[in-house]
Amino acid sequence: MREEHDELIGHIIEELKVLPAVPADATARVLARVDAARRGQGPSAVSDDDDVIFFPAATDEIAAQAPSGRRMPAAATAGGSRDGGLRRRFVVSLPAAIGYALAATLAGFLIRGAAMPKERTTVAAVTPRVNDTAVGTAGMSVRPAGAVVTRESQEKPVAVQFVLDAAAAKSVALVGDFNAWDGSATPLTRDSASGAWSVVAHVSPGRHVYAYLVDGKVLTLDPRAPKTRDSDYGTEQSVIIVGLQ
Amino acid sequence: MTRARRYAVLVLAVTALASGALRRAESQGVKPVDLDPATAAAIAPIIQQASAASLPVELLYAKAREGEVQRVPVARIEAAVRALFARVQTAHEALAPNATVQEIGAAADALKAGVPSETLREMRRAGKDGSLAVPLGVLTQLVIRGVPVERASVQVVDLLQRGAVSNHFIALDERVRADVVAGKRPDESLDLRMKGIIPNLPQQATADGAAIQATSPKRPR
Repeated sequence: MREEHDELIGHIIEELKVLPAVPADATARVLARVDAARRGQGPSAVSDDDDVIFFPAATDEIAAQAPSGRRMPAAATAGGSRDGGLRRRFVVSLPAAIGYALAATLAGFLIRGAAMPKERTTVAAVTPRVNDTAVGTAGMSVRPAGAVVTRESQEKPVAVQFVLDAAAAKSVALVGDFNAWDGSATPLTRDSASGAWSVVAHVSPGRHVYAYLVDGKVLTLDPRAPKTRDSDYGTEQSVIIVGLQ
Repeated sequence: MTRARRYAVLVLAVTALASGALRRAESQGVKPVDLDPATAAAIAPIIQQASAASLPVELLYAKAREGEVQRVPVARIEAAVRALFARVQTAHEALAPNATVQEIGAAADALKAGVPSETLREMRRAGKDGSLAVPLGVLTQLVIRGVPVERASVQVVDLLQRGAVSNHFIALDERVRADVVAGKRPDESLDLRMKGIIPNLPQQATADGAAIQATSPKRPR
């Protein structure tokens, strides 16, 4: 039984090895046309480096040899009727390419913005602290190996909370070099429970000087922060050094 | 190209450019500042000079606004803005070719505290591509706190060369501050606290002081 099967399989293999009959000159003519096209003599002359797919042309000879009911691929047939059997894969005009590039850039920009992690809030009115016993690791931002980090990306503003205890104040605003000393830019809100005024401001990493503007006119220093004297104007200011995210 | 596709390309280009400009402005903290007309007129020539030199004018505007909030006379505001313009120029040159606004502002503050421009150049070389905004801020604060400028400069440059990052500098500043409050001398505190920071850095010295000697900035002239 097993030997009979082996004999049958052997016959099938032998039959499949026989190639269909192709006229001797048909193959030569197809190769000649392809060669002519590659050398620039055909209607769709291309260089050797062009990104072009070569489909076999639907020549009469090959079509004649194709089994009945089988069709050549439509694209190849259409290409063959127009450019001698060669079909370009992709053709894009320069302005359209620029448009696609801009669209891709914009998409990347938006995705990047959406994917960026939320800003950390430093809940302290003074310099963010690092664990005294583990300076090398505590609070460190971990950077993937090989990642390119630009200076601008390192200087992204960090959310910092500022707090002032001023129970009698009617209004408090934060003014400093990070908001161009604009008294209307960063108002504090009063916490009804504690009576303290606070705000979370976005401040770029680095050393900054600031003060609180109480009731729109009185400059008040932050009692929780170190002070410095500004030699330009001869006044005292509070100092904060903001770290990276 | 069809008309619709042309419009689509135009809209995409404008959107991308506007979005980029907004984000850049936001990241740099650039905001319009309303100044008193007398102040604005007094500093206008300085702003014009700074613009012509491609210097960040927002630092100058902020200084002027600070003076108004402090209620100082216009003449004093003008003098302060002019002095800041000179420092910004020096900082811009020292941190060339591509300093950020934050770095220039921090370097201008460091110069005001007495840090020599040569130290800024040393810091740029030592810090490679990292932002110097925090190291410059800590250096300024150390000097203001009473650490001799030369010693503070050497130590900060050394930390940069060893690969210190923002939080190392902030930790150093915090500890020196606490020591000074507790009555310790600022320069002694700095030397002491450096010994606590260095073992945690990527590049530790092979021999004590070797890296520091090799990179010490020149004396201020």
